[in-house]
Amino acid sequence: MHPREGWTEDRRELVTRRGFLRQSAGAGLLLGGAGSLLAACGEAGTAGTSGSASGVLPLPRPGNPVTWPIHKGNHAIKSGLAPETGATLKVYNWVAYINQAVVNSFAKKYNCKVQVSTFNTMDEALAKIHSGQVSFDVFMGVTIDVLGPLIAQKFIQPLNHSYLPNITQAWPDFQNPFYDGKWRYTVPYTIYTTGMSWRKDHVPENPYRMTNPWAMPWQPKYKGKVAILDDYRESISLGLMKNGVFNLNTTSASQIQASGQALQNLASLTNVQINNNDYTQIPAGQVWIHHAWSGDMAAAESYMPKGVPVEVVGYWFPPDGKGPVGNDLNTVLRTAANPVLAHLFLNYLLDAHNALNNISWNGYMQPLNEITPQRLVKEQILPPSLMSTAVLPSFFRRGVMELQIPLTTNLLWHQAWQAASKGV
Amino acid sequence: MAVRALTTRGDKQRRLFWACLAAPGIIWLTLLFIVPFYTVLAIAAGRLNELFGTPIAVWNPLHWSAANLQAAWREISGSSAFLGPIILRTLFYTAAAAILCLVIGYPAAYFVARFGGRRKALFLVLLIAPFWISYMMRMLAWVDLLQTNGYVNQALLNLHLIGHPIGWLSGQSVTVILGLVYGYIPYLILVLYAGLDRIDPALIEAGRDLGLNRAQAFRRVTLPLSRQPIMTAMLITVLPMLGDYFTNQLMSGATNTSMIGNVINQQLSTPLFQGVGAVLSVMMLLVLIIPMIWYVIATNRTTRDAA
Repeated sequence: MHPREGWTEDRRELVTRRGFLRQSAGAGLLLGGAGSLLAACGEAGTAGTSGSASGVLPLPRPGNPVTWPIHKGNHAIKSGLAPETGATLKVYNWVAYINQAVVNSFAKKYNCKVQVSTFNTMDEALAKIHSGQVSFDVFMGVTIDVLGPLIAQKFIQPLNHSYLPNITQAWPDFQNPFYDGKWRYTVPYTIYTTGMSWRKDHVPENPYRMTNPWAMPWQPKYKGKVAILDDYRESISLGLMKNGVFNLNTTSASQIQASGQALQNLASLTNVQINNNDYTQIPAGQVWIHHAWSGDMAAAESYMPKGVPVEVVGYWFPPDGKGPVGNDLNTVLRTAANPVLAHLFLNYLLDAHNALNNISWNGYMQPLNEITPQRLVKEQILPPSLMSTAVLPSFFRRGVMELQIPLTTNLLWHQAWQAASKGV
Repeated sequence: MAVRALTTRGDKQRRLFWACLAAPGIIWLTLLFIVPFYTVLAIAAGRLNELFGTPIAVWNPLHWSAANLQAAWREISGSSAFLGPIILRTLFYTAAAAILCLVIGYPAAYFVARFGGRRKALFLVLLIAPFWISYMMRMLAWVDLLQTNGYVNQALLNLHLIGHPIGWLSGQSVTVILGLVYGYIPYLILVLYAGLDRIDPALIEAGRDLGLNRAQAFRRVTLPLSRQPIMTAMLITVLPMLGDYFTNQLMSGATNTSMIGNVINQQLSTPLFQGVGAVLSVMMLLVLIIPMIWYVIATNRTTRDAA
């Protein structure tokens, strides 16, 4: 069972942590409050540097960074405050996306209680936060796509950097990321790539030697043994890259349709399965080629059947780093009852020692300077044969990212995916 | 006069009593059916928040829009339509599973009703036993059994019935149909049992006395008297099967076995498509109402004939 999402009885049904946003593209939290959002953007002094294709919110891009404004009535906490005493820090996170041992050690260090509540989809999380029925301090695993609306609706508070000295341990890119200039509202949590996983003992083709490895699933001889991710952004992106298009935020209707068509062809060629069980299906040999997330495959060893070495599992990501890269963020909610502890918790997770402890259970890398592929192997967290699942700082710069797209484009992506996935 | 007044008052009190007794159920139904159904209608005929792509329910029917209906229709019959084969597949899977349920379930229910004797209660408990475990857990058990290296493949390999493991979970129609049969057959058996148990054995004995052999008695007495229970059982089985998405998702997860329930489920979990998903849900409901109406008419006719 995968350490991150295996805690429900329904392993096959579960929507993954990242699947949520691909499904909602940041729409979920926006159950209302359009007026407040517009008003908020009206105040934006520094946002809006990137032309907003949606007409309202800026769309952060690596070449078009956004520094979100500090809104009236939503300021960072003051410096030098003592941590709340006798408090219960309330953390809201994806199912099984943090090592309980790390949570416990934080609680011990700061003499507090920590209560972790979980969600399965971002829609669920955002709807709860929007309803105001819950009062959490820390909101973990936030993806870049929803960041703008979260800030505009004042759901998360600006961070006071004086409580977060461990940010210096993060890769330099995350100390002024394009999606949150001056890291005003977020600190990084995990980083991952999307690539191709395969069973070397069943599939002789090596993607590292293929002309177009993104086309690896399109092989009829592996009918019934091929799967792609159940995630409209990831899978339409796969079709795009198979077709040679590497703008994963494309607004071109013809490119999107061609990608959808490629996926439909894949379905007729291979009876492709659509799920996010890459971490169990490849180790178990149920599927031989799976479009996969690096963090999932890093945990493959835990799922290998008895007697099958983890070396039979391969994970390919373009060695030059030109493939899908994503990262999740940690934030403090504006209504946090324990904002100081919340800051300290974020800081605690940015410490390399704690991060290693977390990764050993979670599988997903954290973008910290001391967390190198070599160290993960040395600490026996990552098998040497799966070094390719490790993410390097250069990947973040050279990789292609699936970011927030305009609503009309999002509709096209969804339509292409619906026709290809047929509801599965 | 006084007696009549007392009787009238007594009738009124009785009516009031029964109305009060029915009230919680009626309120419950109102809250859990009518209100949610109207909400679905309001979303189906509602608008889209153009800023964020979330559905906006429109409560006033005077302001309802047909945009979602048109979008849903394009998925059924437009140039980019993809629902046609899925609808046909759903009908085929449901019909095949329902027939299999009947073929397997009728003898079981008949046996318990006619020959259960003192062990009837035990048989009934055994029939209800699957309900003690959740549907999802039962399906997950099958997922384990049907895996490439699962017991089913191992048994077939050991018996030399197959040369290599079968990918039961890799988009096989037969797996989905059998999954549906397994999931819904207890409902069919229980309903059939309830109906068959009520058949007066004297009627069958009368048939035998009039010279029918066992098979003839079954065909000419038991089977006609089973028509009503069969209709009820089929209805109770077929309706949820038509909207099922979970079985396919667990037992296949491939596009070539997807059912209409999968499409609706996906649309309802995608904010941009929730309006269209709501339209498809309403369409589905309207289609499902047809066999319900037929059932009510048939039941009334049978009751009338019996009277």
